[in-house]
Amino acid sequence: MRKYFQVIKITFQAIFVYRLNFILWRFRALVQLLVLYFLWLAVIPEGTTLFGYDQAKILTYILGTSIVRSFILSSRSVDAAGEIASGALANFLLRPINYLKYWFSKDIADKILNLFFSIIGIFLILILLRPPIIIQNNPMIIFLTIVTIILGIILYFYLSFLLSMVAFWTPENVWPPRFLSMIIIEFLAGSLFPLDILPVGVFKALKLLPFTYLLFFPLNVYLGKLTTQEIFTGVLISIFWIIVFWQLAKALFRLGLRNYVAWGR
Amino acid sequence: MALMSVVSVKNLKKHFRVHKKEPGLAGSVKSLFRRKYKTVKAVDNVSFTIDEGELVGFIGPNGAGKTTTLKCLSGLLYPTSGSVSVLNYTPWDRKPEFQKQFALVMGQKNQLWWDLPAMETFILNKEIYEVPDEKFKKTIKELIRLLEVEDILKVQVRKLSLGQRMKCELIAALLHSPKVLFLDEPTIGLDVVMQKKMRDFIKEYNRRYKATIILTSHYMGDVKELCERVVIIDKGKIVFDGKLEEIIKKFADHKVITVTLAKEVDPKKFEEVARVKEFDYPKLTLSIKRKKVSEVAAQVLDKFPVADLNIEEPPIEDIIRELFTGKNYA
Repeated sequence: MRKYFQVIKITFQAIFVYRLNFILWRFRALVQLLVLYFLWLAVIPEGTTLFGYDQAKILTYILGTSIVRSFILSSRSVDAAGEIASGALANFLLRPINYLKYWFSKDIADKILNLFFSIIGIFLILILLRPPIIIQNNPMIIFLTIVTIILGIILYFYLSFLLSMVAFWTPENVWPPRFLSMIIIEFLAGSLFPLDILPVGVFKALKLLPFTYLLFFPLNVYLGKLTTQEIFTGVLISIFWIIVFWQLAKALFRLGLRNYVAWGR
Repeated sequence: MALMSVVSVKNLKKHFRVHKKEPGLAGSVKSLFRRKYKTVKAVDNVSFTIDEGELVGFIGPNGAGKTTTLKCLSGLLYPTSGSVSVLNYTPWDRKPEFQKQFALVMGQKNQLWWDLPAMETFILNKEIYEVPDEKFKKTIKELIRLLEVEDILKVQVRKLSLGQRMKCELIAALLHSPKVLFLDEPTIGLDVVMQKKMRDFIKEYNRRYKATIILTSHYMGDVKELCERVVIIDKGKIVFDGKLEEIIKKFADHKVITVTLAKEVDPKKFEEVARVKEFDYPKLTLSIKRKKVSEVAAQVLDKFPVADLNIEEPPIEDIIRELFTGKNYA
């Protein structure tokens, strides 16, 4: 375990090396949040509703999405594809370290930083703008939100790692499949609009797929829109998909290595 | 048996399938639809064993299969067929117990964290290889002393020179005190002084830890100075495996006579007795078949104004170059 703890530490250090880059990225995230906030504030004036969402709910959804997105739909394992394609993967195959755990450790470092700066960002917005958003104060619901976010993080990690495995077979075609899947994933996860405005049949089908558990589900848990029963089912479905992606990632990695020629080395 | 064989390779084959593209844009467009593949036999039926504490040099022209062999021995590649055993492990199972006992260093690639000082990578490797604190402190102190790198450990790796970086790469690879070491072009791109230091270090490491080392290099100097035993690989096959000096006996069918002339003589006259390799008055170099050496030497002394005469084995570099270009492995 200590080796992965050390990976987390060294990742922090590597991020802190470039101070300006580091600050600009956080600043960018904050600006993005503000832009979205003012846009939706203008779209839904106070007292109106849209798709059954009142102003406070939609603002919370939109702001919430943009924050949760930065946790869940961001995984460093995108770069695993580059390492496979360039042959740098060899460094990991030689040493007694698990490649999946290595990337997950790097993600943890990344997400801890994101968490820290998101809290500062939200705090600033709350104090300065006093926005009409829903602040959840039920500890059980906050706890369940955290659980579903963690499940979402794990789910996306394996999904993203799976996409990086493409590099084993077509090292030159890493980005097209990645972009294509990102667009589909973001849409199906509910980052563009709340998914329950879709026709009931479609929405029901979506709930069986893994993607809604990346954004839509944790946010709805937070908004208190789901029954205990629905939360329970959702958690089970996400766990099911985590196991599927985990096993697939492991199997593909093993298969990929058979195909691996450690290019350029 | 006093010695255990540490590395044992039997009928190892590694074939790659690569696609061929005809030159030009038309060829590129064509390759979008139909690809022609060909099989490259990078390693073709290679067998050898290496005992504990041996320092063996792999030589061969570019693309001969040296690096591919090392990659199979390190578990990076699955072979097409054949068997490999290193320290009684099958490398491509990649068992942690095996990985903790060997290291592969490639001169052309690095494992150091680019944005951080080398020390950070060392600490990471300490954890990855689960080296106890005490042992880590001792090993790193010794490696730092042997390679003379105290002053660069806190500098970002990207700001180091190539030589400095190679030394740090070596430290990162040796922190877990591997018993088996594969070095792929460890001196590539280094200046002569640094090359010498690297060689001294490798020799010292081999001696001190009884480490088994395989080394590939394009510099004959590396091999001559370090390796008693040499394996020559060409086109995926082993063409020679034995002591370095035996290469001379086996492949050099001629000796070199160097004559210093007392008076200028028309070099054409020498052609009657032997093949003239080089003539730069007063020095003349002749290449003579082994059997005829004494006969020719006598003739030369007899017929020409000779100030000095020297009979030598041809330089090993020449023999190997001739081997690689002439390709007449007997």
